[in-house]
Amino acid sequence: MSKLSLGGTASSGKLKSWVQPSFGGLIESSGQSNCSSKKGQRKTGEGKGKGQLLGSDSGSSKRSNKRRADCEASDFQSLCQEVSPTDQDEPWVDKHRPSSQAELAVHKKKIEEVENWITFHLDSKTMNKGGTILLLTGPSGCGKTATVQVLAKELNYQIQEWTNPSTLSEFRCDDSFRDAFDPHSRFNGFQGTSQTGAFQEFLLRANKYNRLQMTGDSKGTDRKVILVEDFPNQFYRNPGCLHDILRRFVKTGRCPLVFIVSDSLSGDRGSRLLFPREVQEELNISNISFNPVAPTSLMKVLSRIATSEAGKSGGRNLVPDKAALDLLCSGSSGDIRSAINSLQFSSLTDHSLEKSLWAAKKGKSAAAPKKAGPKPKAKSRSSKSADPLEESQAIGGKDASLFLFRALGRILYCKRESFEPSEAPELPEHLSEHKRDKLLVDPELVVERSHMSGEFFSLYLQQNYMDFFSDVDDVARASEYLSDADFLTAEWSSRSTMLEYGSSVATRGLIHANSARAKADCQTSVGFRPLHKPHWLLVNKKYRENCQAAQSLFISFCLPPVGLQTELVPYLAKLNNPMRNPAQIAFLQDVGHLPLRKFPGRLKLEALGDKDPGLLDEDTDGEDPARDHLHAKETTDPGPEAEPTPSCSQDAGADLPMSQPQPITSEALLDDEDLLIEEYESD
Amino acid sequence: MSLWVDKYRPASLAKLDYHKEQANKLKNLVQCGDFPHLLIYGPSGAGKKTRIMCLLRELYGAGVEKLRIEHQSITAPSKKKIEINTIASNYHLEVNPSDAGNSDRVVIQELIKTVAQSQQIQSSTQREFKVVLLTEVDRLTKDAQHALRRTMEKYMFTCRLILCCNSTSKVIAPIRSRCLAVRVPLPSVEEVCSVLASVCKKEGLQLPAELARQIAEKSGRNLRKALLMCEACRVQQYPFAADQEIPETDWEAYLRETANAIVGQQSPQRLLEVRARLYELLTHCIPPEVIMKGLVTELLSNCDGHLKGEVVQMAAYYEHRLQLGNKAIYHLEAFVAKFMAIYKKFMEDGFDNFMF
Repeated sequence: MSKLSLGGTASSGKLKSWVQPSFGGLIESSGQSNCSSKKGQRKTGEGKGKGQLLGSDSGSSKRSNKRRADCEASDFQSLCQEVSPTDQDEPWVDKHRPSSQAELAVHKKKIEEVENWITFHLDSKTMNKGGTILLLTGPSGCGKTATVQVLAKELNYQIQEWTNPSTLSEFRCDDSFRDAFDPHSRFNGFQGTSQTGAFQEFLLRANKYNRLQMTGDSKGTDRKVILVEDFPNQFYRNPGCLHDILRRFVKTGRCPLVFIVSDSLSGDRGSRLLFPREVQEELNISNISFNPVAPTSLMKVLSRIATSEAGKSGGRNLVPDKAALDLLCSGSSGDIRSAINSLQFSSLTDHSLEKSLWAAKKGKSAAAPKKAGPKPKAKSRSSKSADPLEESQAIGGKDASLFLFRALGRILYCKRESFEPSEAPELPEHLSEHKRDKLLVDPELVVERSHMSGEFFSLYLQQNYMDFFSDVDDVARASEYLSDADFLTAEWSSRSTMLEYGSSVATRGLIHANSARAKADCQTSVGFRPLHKPHWLLVNKKYRENCQAAQSLFISFCLPPVGLQTELVPYLAKLNNPMRNPAQIAFLQDVGHLPLRKFPGRLKLEALGDKDPGLLDEDTDGEDPARDHLHAKETTDPGPEAEPTPSCSQDAGADLPMSQPQPITSEALLDDEDLLIEEYESD
Repeated sequence: MSLWVDKYRPASLAKLDYHKEQANKLKNLVQCGDFPHLLIYGPSGAGKKTRIMCLLRELYGAGVEKLRIEHQSITAPSKKKIEINTIASNYHLEVNPSDAGNSDRVVIQELIKTVAQSQQIQSSTQREFKVVLLTEVDRLTKDAQHALRRTMEKYMFTCRLILCCNSTSKVIAPIRSRCLAVRVPLPSVEEVCSVLASVCKKEGLQLPAELARQIAEKSGRNLRKALLMCEACRVQQYPFAADQEIPETDWEAYLRETANAIVGQQSPQRLLEVRARLYELLTHCIPPEVIMKGLVTELLSNCDGHLKGEVVQMAAYYEHRLQLGNKAIYHLEAFVAKFMAIYKKFMEDGFDNFMF
């Protein structure tokens, strides 16, 4: 029986008898099996050499993982399909793992890029020059790991993968009792190994030794790549730790090291934290960033799997029709793993609950093409482009989320499509200027998925909308809507409710006001416009700080703030009155004078990268020493008009004289003052 | 060397330069050694604070002029710490509660309580009450004003309040009715001129009458501003010339340039530049209300009579929103954009009429 050759089947058959099914319901167990199967997939692919590197620990954890996955899978299948237990217990994700480049759903260029890097660095000529590092980034389920594994097969190299040891206690379970009484054991180096230490050791060993020749390992190549997907937690807390290890690796390493990091929206976790740009440059890390799987290639894979499964199962599996595949495809937002998992789930038959889900979904998917009747071509294309935002799915749908950059782009570029005149009633004559084509984005959904409060989102819009407008009248209307949005949230008691309305007004207002983009056919491409981070928070913070500083510095004048800021300080700057302390002088230099040049250069535009989380600290009260250090560096920077930098220089620091004083009137005291200012800063 | 404004500030009610009748009344008020709560209001630079200090001196003697700056921290019931600066003598305490922002209620209650609960030790030689001077009462939150009302009654025995503000319109009626309201109007142009002349005389300078008049007019009868201007003139050029250019503050010049930029071209690009300039003004401590007001004044002088009504109405609309909203730039920008739109339309129409 060929079925016996499937590794998991035999064991699952055995296991079924002594492991209690832990999940009763179909939904839970299937969900569970999906996620554990993901784990399983990675574990199975990670090469057998690891066991010997990490000792029994990781081996056993792997085994237990595997066992769990298997039993859950078997559990799942035993519930929903009693007839043939053998055919379906392996998740399709594993079963249909890509085995060649052609099967990969990744764009050819990307594969080629990775392939080139690996072949180049595996080459024995370049190998001795030290370790080289590749960083693969991209959303989850876009085929990063699969690409590396497929290439391993084709280029004939081995993969050694690091997994976080789940617990270190297994090392010493035997002598834990003795440990308790032995004062020296605590200082015994091996047992106290942290994950970081273990990681370092792993790198060292993987670097030095080839793996053992196991029986059954036919291809004995000593070319290998180290793969790291799991990071010890310590690295998230203290990325410098990782960087130190990597620096050492780069000096001594002999084989390529590949890191795989999934993009995350929440910002602080991920490639930007672990591999900041300076480090990437310093260590010469090449970064290849994957995109979500394109709908067409996703579709191709799904239909391939569906047909092959249908052929195998002989009618027990219901093959989803094209529309259903479309729906799966759009619901997964480019995550091929979840798409296949939901395909597997949705194609199971003879379960009542599942059927009803299908029915609901079918009704929905059937309704969609009907609407598109007269113009199927344009409709299908457009609906595909808009779908990830619009359709929600009954099963396996993934929460689509947007990076801020793209979310802003959706609002600012506001795609529209033309619609049939019959579909909507014509606007009366006097309102004809407000006629707009159908909008392809749902602004509320965009804001919701941008992982940002509506207020912040409006700030970003306010910073950037001007570039997309060409007519002053439109700008006036747009700015009016923004003003409305702020006004709506003015009352603090109702703010939590009104925030959503506010952002809705702001986004829809902006979109509607842009009359140049009112028609689908005359949406002239404005081209790429860089987006920037909003200035307002910085300005507002500076305003408050300056006001406070003014009041504390000139408190002896006993003036109300407005009089102080608009009369006393500006005139004091004009008088050559000897001030008592250097802080006052510095403040007058900075705040009392305004540059009467044409373009103010103080505010630097900070470009918003396409993967920036874009979260701003609204008011940071506590300044940490690192940030102070940053400011100290900034002040030594001579040019007030610095290039847009990605560094986090949002807040201008608590000390005022930090920012560049801009003397425009030459005063006799100038030299002395400069000296004094310097002294003050060094405090 | 201190500023002229401080150097020649009258120290007693008898030495005040203008509103002498009012000074007399104040003098009579404190003659008996006691006075009711006072609410002193009037525009900025009219001399409210000067009068208050004179009054206190009349009451307590020269001791009130020994000021010390104290940094107080008050713990709110919510365990939040509020830091606030006060100026105090042995007899009085001056505080601007609106510095504390939304927690001004706590400041009022706690500060006045501590002041009022501490009895004067030698009540034979001193008054049996202390004075708390609250500035910018019109910027207090409603909450704080209601707290103030209660406090006023409770501690009437040991403390008197002097409230100081620009306008009573934002002070709630119960407070107004509990205080004796004293309005200090701006000095007339002539009065400003005479003050300027006497100050210059004391400094040993010759001030031409025309220049004094110009300064008085340009300062908008704000005496503090007038004295500062005069001193700036002195720095700029001495001996004075009658037609000397009076230096204005940088931000005023900047604001005028901004207004010119708005009138000069109406396009989104220009609006972006204007926005950058507004930000610049804000970072230089110019409050948004002042920016709005200054902008309107400058724009009005630039635009046609037909537009003025509309522009002012718009400005009022957005100024109101500015007060209510959170982020001033939205409203400032909306006002500028709106003005641009109106002005552009007006110019285009005018051009069309001219052509045909």
